[in-house]
Amino acid sequence: MAKPQIISLQEAVALIPDGACITFSGFTIWRRPMAAVYEMIRQGKRNLHLAELGGGTHSELLIGAGCVKIWESSWMGHEMYGKMGANLARKAERGEIIIEDYSLMHMLARLTAGSMGLPYMPSYASMGTDILNPAYDNLGQLGLRDGSNPKIPNKKYEIVRDNFYDSELLHLPAVNPDWCIAAVQTVGEEGTVRISGQVYVDSEATKASDKVIVLAENIVPEEYLRREPTQNHIPGYQIDYIVDMPWAAHPTGSFGHYETDGAFIGELYQASRRQETMDQWLREWVYDIPDHAAYLDKLGVARLEALRANPVLGYSNRVKRGTRA
Amino acid sequence: MNTMNDYVGPGDFKPIDLLAVAAAREVRDGDIVFAGTGLPMLAIALAQLTTAPNAVCIYEAGSVDGRPISIPTSVGDARCSYQAAIASGTFDVTNQLQRGVVDLAFLGGAEIDRYGNVNTTAIGRYGLIPQKRLPGGGGNSDINSLARRTVFTMVQEKRRFKENVDFITSPGWRIPKWPGGEMVPKAEVYNKAMRGGPSAVISDMGVFYFDADGEMYLDTVHPGFTPEQVRDNCSFDLNISRVKGETLPPTRHELELLYKTIDPEGIFLP
Repeated sequence: MAKPQIISLQEAVALIPDGACITFSGFTIWRRPMAAVYEMIRQGKRNLHLAELGGGTHSELLIGAGCVKIWESSWMGHEMYGKMGANLARKAERGEIIIEDYSLMHMLARLTAGSMGLPYMPSYASMGTDILNPAYDNLGQLGLRDGSNPKIPNKKYEIVRDNFYDSELLHLPAVNPDWCIAAVQTVGEEGTVRISGQVYVDSEATKASDKVIVLAENIVPEEYLRREPTQNHIPGYQIDYIVDMPWAAHPTGSFGHYETDGAFIGELYQASRRQETMDQWLREWVYDIPDHAAYLDKLGVARLEALRANPVLGYSNRVKRGTRA
Repeated sequence: MNTMNDYVGPGDFKPIDLLAVAAAREVRDGDIVFAGTGLPMLAIALAQLTTAPNAVCIYEAGSVDGRPISIPTSVGDARCSYQAAIASGTFDVTNQLQRGVVDLAFLGGAEIDRYGNVNTTAIGRYGLIPQKRLPGGGGNSDINSLARRTVFTMVQEKRRFKENVDFITSPGWRIPKWPGGEMVPKAEVYNKAMRGGPSAVISDMGVFYFDADGEMYLDTVHPGFTPEQVRDNCSFDLNISRVKGETLPPTRHELELLYKTIDPEGIFLP
């Protein structure tokens, strides 16, 4: 069994070629591999094909920086800190990105099928919607379902007769991304992954992908994780590269470690509403910053300490979230 | 409990307060509830503290029956799984949904039609180059399509209550059957997974239910509005013949719970 390699963030991201199909850990504004996203933007990745359960701050930034050609997913935004994906909307309305709309459960079915080594997964979810309107199959309209790209299935979906119990339902095609980039709390020296709090779609996303990079808040002795194997989620042999990266998910949150930085995301969202201000933001927070350590320095200790989770609660009870105390 | 009937006067509550209270009143005790971010979080928390103490809340990111002591700001929030029965993932909780476990869904939308079809995807032309892109459906369409009842909260505007929504993201009672796209009753599309559909819409002007044909009608009008005003803020010909009267305003007890216990930080109730 091949052990994962512990490498630097720059080395890990350099392995991802232009045009790669990528998926991520996390959910909207929680546990997104932001440090890797910043590095992908710095390295100038182009024509990426994102296939994810739902979008969030991470994919909005990749799209805003011009790294993405195809986005297959169900939703885009920053929750209450940015009501929509302004970069996605602007690029879509200018014809600069291809969107393939699915529902959340459709994308989950696709990643699950991928993780199980099956070609498709049945589902009753979101039938009778325009998501399934044949005229709205954008990849198909563009002739990209011709089999030339192994990451694009020949059909968006099928409606299939169920001959076992006399019904009718959807078949959703598997997706096996080239890469899953995950930000997780704890990784053993041999790669065993322990996720704390809600696991989102991380098991399916990592296991569906051909290669997996994990950004670890902490790398710990393998022996520690093996004392309680029921608490672990992914074995080391399903991980390819480990990056030691505290605060890897900032400005998104990480259960037990730190809070979502809503103020930071709010400013990012405001900047994202025009390409010029997005570019200025990217210069300030990505291009002019050499690495994640410099990024954390720029954020400052006081800001990070306010975000740091209370170890008993799993979240910060110091951060100001609303208009009152 | 006499505090339950301590209704406040017009002017003593904000529109969002009544939205939260009216939504909470749609929860039946013991309901298994799937809630989205924002107003739904206020509604389920209020219901659990008042009329539905045995209701269970599930969030699509993967928390089951959490008992947060600090309101989450999104469904992926660390607060969602505080004192939860289980912190799992999207696979587990959406499987429960597909299995038919979920009684009630609390959701929002940008546009709605008379059959409860909701759009959260795009305004105007869709296609390769959309006219105006919105966030997309996320779990909205899945939760709504597979729960027994769905309550939508909406802003009451003519451009939002439409004859036809620009994109059917979330299915109502009459929906397109693909590949042809002919509009048919929901049961003809969902087969064995037919559980129900939109049960109520709550706007800042009234509470709407759906009749046996799956058509929306006005049930109560919020204090300060007339049924005709509500109809004038719909693009379709709203049925106002069944209006029962005014929506009950919040009680002092409900407002105190909302502002002091559920959202003391002023996150959703600034």
